[in-house]
Amino acid sequence: MNQPANRLLLLVLLSLLNLPIYAAKVTLNPDQWGDPAGKECISCHKKSSAGLTAQWQNSKHAEAGVNCLDCHKADVDDADAIKHEGVVIATIVSPLDCSRCHTTEYEQQRGSVHSEAVDLIKERLPALAGHVGGNAIVAAGCDQCHGSSVRVLGDGTLDPATWPNSGIGRINPDGSKGSCSSCHGRHKFSKAQAREPSACVRCHSGPDSPDKAVYEASKHGMLYDAQRDEMALTNDSWVAGKDYTAAPTCVSCHMGAAGKLKSTHDVGMRNMWSLNSPISEKQSLVVFESGEKIELPESIPAPRRGSELTKADGSMGKVKAVATPARRRQAMSMVCLECHSKPFTKSFMTQFDDVVMLYNEKFGRPAEKIMQTLYSEGLLTPTPFDEAIEYTYWELWHDEGARARHGASMGSPNHTWWEGMYLVGRNFYAHFLPQVLAVAGKERGEAIIQSHVRSLDQHDWLNHPRRANPILGYGKGRPADE
Amino acid sequence: MSNWKLPFFITRHFLYALVLGGIAGIGFMIFLIEFDHLTSTEAFCTSCHSMEFAAETYRKSSHYNPISGVRASCGDCHVSEGVFSATWDHFMGSKDLFSQLFGPDYDDPVINALHLPDAAFSARKWFEDRGSATCLRCHVLTAIQGNRPETNAIHVEETKGKSCINCHINLVHRKVPDQETFKRAQWNQMIETEFGLEPGTADRILSEE
Repeated sequence: MNQPANRLLLLVLLSLLNLPIYAAKVTLNPDQWGDPAGKECISCHKKSSAGLTAQWQNSKHAEAGVNCLDCHKADVDDADAIKHEGVVIATIVSPLDCSRCHTTEYEQQRGSVHSEAVDLIKERLPALAGHVGGNAIVAAGCDQCHGSSVRVLGDGTLDPATWPNSGIGRINPDGSKGSCSSCHGRHKFSKAQAREPSACVRCHSGPDSPDKAVYEASKHGMLYDAQRDEMALTNDSWVAGKDYTAAPTCVSCHMGAAGKLKSTHDVGMRNMWSLNSPISEKQSLVVFESGEKIELPESIPAPRRGSELTKADGSMGKVKAVATPARRRQAMSMVCLECHSKPFTKSFMTQFDDVVMLYNEKFGRPAEKIMQTLYSEGLLTPTPFDEAIEYTYWELWHDEGARARHGASMGSPNHTWWEGMYLVGRNFYAHFLPQVLAVAGKERGEAIIQSHVRSLDQHDWLNHPRRANPILGYGKGRPADE
Repeated sequence: MSNWKLPFFITRHFLYALVLGGIAGIGFMIFLIEFDHLTSTEAFCTSCHSMEFAAETYRKSSHYNPISGVRASCGDCHVSEGVFSATWDHFMGSKDLFSQLFGPDYDDPVINALHLPDAAFSARKWFEDRGSATCLRCHVLTAIQGNRPETNAIHVEETKGKSCINCHINLVHRKVPDQETFKRAQWNQMIETEFGLEPGTADRILSEE
């Protein structure tokens, strides 16, 4: 079968399965905006908060007649409602508020991995915040990306421990999750700004997901930098391969329209792997009738349409659709295919998958098993982060491990190796294993290492200590590994 | 001499009564003025222990310690100008004294805090009904400068149909939401957390009154 026919078949299949990979075209109902009571606000606000007012005045929102009150209006019963100049408003404009007009985007982001970002670290926070950091770090660090659970105090103020916050999974006073302004800068909400890689950088940077650095070091980043003026970032229609071909940004691949692939605000939907986990798993995206979603590892059998499954909040829900790992990969690949050939795309993905599996099998799984052994034999206290090896293990998968996998996923050789897997290896062999010996004692430690590491083919080199070592200057003249 | 004569009822005794009455009247007015003056002071107001809670936040506010050194006392804001209005306000205010003596135990910080929103709402209404007249004793709209460049313009251009209290609630005392958006359950919960009380304590206290 030739390539277009393949893609056509894929399209037909995808649309048959009624998946939100192909979202409906955005149509907005103008009845939802232009509240007369909201037209007066700027008279005062252009004096009291000139900056944000000017941003709004230069926005598409202002052009279309969407005023302050259209977004900020609230019901008196809303937990965070306040009376302001005779009208009831809320400071926080939640995704639910935005959904008064942007229904499609709201439905797409609802239940996405972004909107569930608080839940994602729920089990990690007590140890990291309580032991290593502190509550001040939760408010100014963790929560600023993952989102806070915004608390409204009895006096009507927003608890400073939870707000200001524009974390992507913020739990809002109205119960909705997420924060559109995480990526879309207030109060201009410029399309062009949100399409820039910088829209993602506030959070997708740092040791665990250095996606800014990875992207900049990739050929995509190189081309974007050189050809930014050809990116058509301000275009209404922004379809990769049609409206721009200079380079893809984060948005292009993870949520942008490409060819016949529609754009989506479920930014994690095209991700086949979970990359920020101790061991990567391929995952299915389960969409419930109610619009919520969960990620399901491939090791758990994918549910059928119409069957009942536990939702993220613990209640039961009826499954509406399932995007299998293979189909998520296909969706992502459709973006690649706008500029790359099919064999190129497929082989790139193979190189990426091989890195993930190498990490999993060589380091991730053995390290996890060793840690479980140390805990179960009482060689480590159950308390997290009170022993050096716990930091080594944490960084092995959370920092270097994730960095290597992200590097391979987006084509940065440096992050895949030197900033990634090299550090994984170094920390595994030079820190983690010696620490295993230190906490377990030489005899038990050697036995643990023997059964989880030395017995694996990938670590077999450890069993040959007499081989030549020209790279470090020993045994020069002899071929390596002899 | 003319034959102009005093009316028959202007007797000697009448004149005595007029003079004495006049003196008594002047004395009474002086008494009222002094009374209003004395009963408007912080010292008088906080002679009821429950008022200390209001005074606590007041003493941290800009009305207590402005850089100008002008200190507004309780009565400067909460008692009207003019002897009759001031006396009336004090007369009406005596219901607070009545509540203090026979009502809930406002000296208890928890009970005080639970009742605070109602006090705030009625004080706000009092200001609103009078067009924030007591604020205007000192503040002149056109003279308000503020720290930001447009503060004066806002006060001159954006205040038609409004008086100070419409925007400036929660200026001196503990913050209480607007009555329209006030949520009793959230308030009670905050007070319970603040005083380390079991959930539901606030409801119990209020229902027992």
